[in-house]
Amino acid sequence: MSQTVVTEGDLAEMVEQVWVSYLDPEGINPLVLTGDAKQPSEVHSTVSITGSWHGHLVYASSKHAAQKAAAAFLAMEPDEVGQEDISDVLGELANIVGGNVKAMLPAGCFLSLPTVVLAPDTASYYPAAERISGLYGAWDGEPVSISMWQSVTKEAKA
Amino acid sequence: MKILIADDSRVMRQIVTRTLRQAGYGDHDLVEAADGQQAVDMAVAEKPDLVISDWNMPELTGIEVLRKLRAAGNDVKFGFVTSECTDEMKQAAESAGSAFFIVKPFTADQFEQAFAPILG
Repeated sequence: MSQTVVTEGDLAEMVEQVWVSYLDPEGINPLVLTGDAKQPSEVHSTVSITGSWHGHLVYASSKHAAQKAAAAFLAMEPDEVGQEDISDVLGELANIVGGNVKAMLPAGCFLSLPTVVLAPDTASYYPAAERISGLYGAWDGEPVSISMWQSVTKEAKA
Repeated sequence: MKILIADDSRVMRQIVTRTLRQAGYGDHDLVEAADGQQAVDMAVAEKPDLVISDWNMPELTGIEVLRKLRAAGNDVKFGFVTSECTDEMKQAAESAGSAFFIVKPFTADQFEQAFAPILG
């Protein structure tokens, strides 16, 4: 496999910026990394990257964490946000981290629009990709993860 | 002054609106477009003084919106607020006539720095 182009340290830096800007501007509720890659998730969003690098960036969390994220983005209470808001925010979270990831990849990459699935992320969604880095943690006790998957198709290996 | 905010994420349009307010630009007339084609249409119909556009949108990307407007002789002040930031994109934006390039996640301070020379 080729050298990891975006490390967990890089992901952590981007994620910290997202937390400081939108999810935890007061700095009281950061994402606490646990490293538990097997933690459960209930919803996830993905952006695909194609071009000089092929793969996916996946943001996954519990429903409650997604609801809290939407509330933080919208400056509302968690019980005031609807499913559309949650989907929108999940997509935007993958888009923001994916966009920053893209900037670290070789030139000539394209970012897809986000795909949001209100169901757990499982490896079966990425049958032709392998995880190359990931952040697994808890936000206010709720599971949140951000992981990068690289395509292992013939084209990517060539 | 009228500002057009183009982003396919409704939540992000709200965050841009909120950040404009925090940066002291809340008194301007704000209008919104939910995709690239709508951004072109509204830039023509609404005649905004400034367009703040996402890059990656359905129908037309932000850079296509800017190029279409310029090709039609529309000289509206235009810049990007996007999660994507590569040198090639910045160069493409600049040569198409973009006035600023703000990367998500952004702060009110970044808005202030970018918009002070434009909005005064």
